[in-house]
Amino acid sequence: MTDHAPTLRPVRDTAVPDGERVAARCPYCERPFRSDHGRDLHVGERHDPTDAERERYEAALEEERDELWLFHAKAVVALGVIYAATVILYMAVLGTFF
Amino acid sequence: MGRDGQRAGWRPLARAGATAVVVLALAGRAAAHSGSLGGSVASASVPTWLVILTGGIVVGGSFLFTTLLTDHEAMRGVNWWRVALPTSAQLRRVAVPALRAVSFGVLLIVVATGLAGPTTPTQNFALLVVWVGWWAGYTTTTYLVGNTWPAVNPWRAPTRFVRRARDRLFDDASDGALPDRWGVWPAVAGLLALVFLEVVSPVGENPRLLAVVVLGYSLATVAGAVRYGDAWFDRVDPVSRVFAAYGRVAPLQRDFDGSLTLRLPGTALTEDPLPDRPGEVAFVVALLWVTTYDGLVATPTWAAAVEPVVSLGVPALLVYAVVLLAGFAAFLGVYRLAARNVRDTADTYVTARAIERWFAPALLPIAAGYHLAHFLGYFLGLAPALGAVAISPFAPPANPMALVLPGWFGSVKLLCVLGGHVLAIWVAHSLSFELFPGVLAAIRSQYPSVVVMVFYTMSSLWVITQPYAPPPFV
Ligand SMILES: [Zn+2]
Repeated sequence: MTDHAPTLRPVRDTAVPDGERVAARCPYCERPFRSDHGRDLHVGERHDPTDAERERYEAALEEERDELWLFHAKAVVALGVIYAATVILYMAVLGTFF
Repeated sequence: MGRDGQRAGWRPLARAGATAVVVLALAGRAAAHSGSLGGSVASASVPTWLVILTGGIVVGGSFLFTTLLTDHEAMRGVNWWRVALPTSAQLRRVAVPALRAVSFGVLLIVVATGLAGPTTPTQNFALLVVWVGWWAGYTTTTYLVGNTWPAVNPWRAPTRFVRRARDRLFDDASDGALPDRWGVWPAVAGLLALVFLEVVSPVGENPRLLAVVVLGYSLATVAGAVRYGDAWFDRVDPVSRVFAAYGRVAPLQRDFDGSLTLRLPGTALTEDPLPDRPGEVAFVVALLWVTTYDGLVATPTWAAAVEPVVSLGVPALLVYAVVLLAGFAAFLGVYRLAARNVRDTADTYVTARAIERWFAPALLPIAAGYHLAHFLGYFLGLAPALGAVAISPFAPPANPMALVLPGWFGSVKLLCVLGGHVLAIWVAHSLSFELFPGVLAAIRSQYPSVVVMVFYTMSSLWVITQPYAPPPFV
């Protein structure tokens, strides 16, 4: 598959507020990140990582996976609640709710 | 037709036709019987507020649902899917000039029948072709099929002719250049001006005025395109830009190498952020705003709000203009504010400006959905009249027919609006995965825009479920 991904030009399209110390920077494209976590993911996704970088990428992915599981659990519960509330609301309004 | 069409901004055509065309009045009554748009959903007893609330829930729920889709490779598989279509350069060389010649011919007939044709709107070729055939019907094809405007544009042929004549007469003729810092702001101003003209003047019901407007627009376009070359169509002519923007939503796309490809609708939007030029984001926001404005001025609420202001002595035209500009500024402001908030929710150093450009294409399916909701019924209702008049522009039949749409058509309109929003959520979701590393930052980057979108869906549904009231004082 050819690469059709839109591209960001890090030098022009990112800005670090005055006085803020950049937590991490991509060694390949200089893009600044607010955390090592973001940089590690970016390097693994967008560049050709070294073995050490690949290891950090996998670790960051693992960390994402745990957090994502919790997020998804919340999202599914929220969807269920919204769905149930909508159905009840419709039944109440349309007068078929006993 | 009837209420649907009127609300779409083609109120003048319906207003003026009221006495002359009994069929249309009947169609209007049929629509009225089915109740307001909200009432026609599934059963007559669903109140409007519930329809509006449901719209908000559907948009919010779609966001929650897309957060479950986190396989970036699979998303790219969907978004980058394409089939190359065979194209023939030779056919193109023949077809494009032929199309341009035909459309120029139609333009001439529009001006002629506008100036000399019958003044009954549903018998007038110019009014029907411009509003029903072109602005409702043709525009729909630009986002449902593909942007054919560069091939159809009736001003290309005369521009070429004049340029050739100029080059022959003057040896040192050269193109002018628009200042770079203007970007596409001229097109933004042009779009707002066109919509203002459409709302406050009888250009939708008076064929003579329409002919004058078309003539003026033609002269300006040809003069501009001769002077500035293709940059005119790219940066100034609002019509070309509207179709180019809508065309990005369509399944037929020109690929990077110029070949024609078939894509899934909306997926082309996930590949290009807007060009880095002043006014690019503003144009997309303006396109969204004018659809809302067009509906807003035809609600009873608007009439009730404007009347006291005008009775204080404020000129009505000023009120319309101020609201048009203030609403545009507010839309742009809210969009920019949401983009700035993404910097926090996604915890990123990407500039607000880059975020604005990155996600703006996601607004286009929303605009297309509203356009379809506004104009589909209007187009179908008047298509028979358009067909009859198109066959004999200079001797139209006395009683053109109108199609009466069934009551459930109101639900189709709601689905168009919601479909646009849901597609927008998918596009924004895909774009966020391209911009931010990992999954969580991408999902969190969507919070501000989802909040805005839920409110925007609800206010727009409110507008289209309002009964029609003619805009007062204009
Ligand atoms: Zn990088």
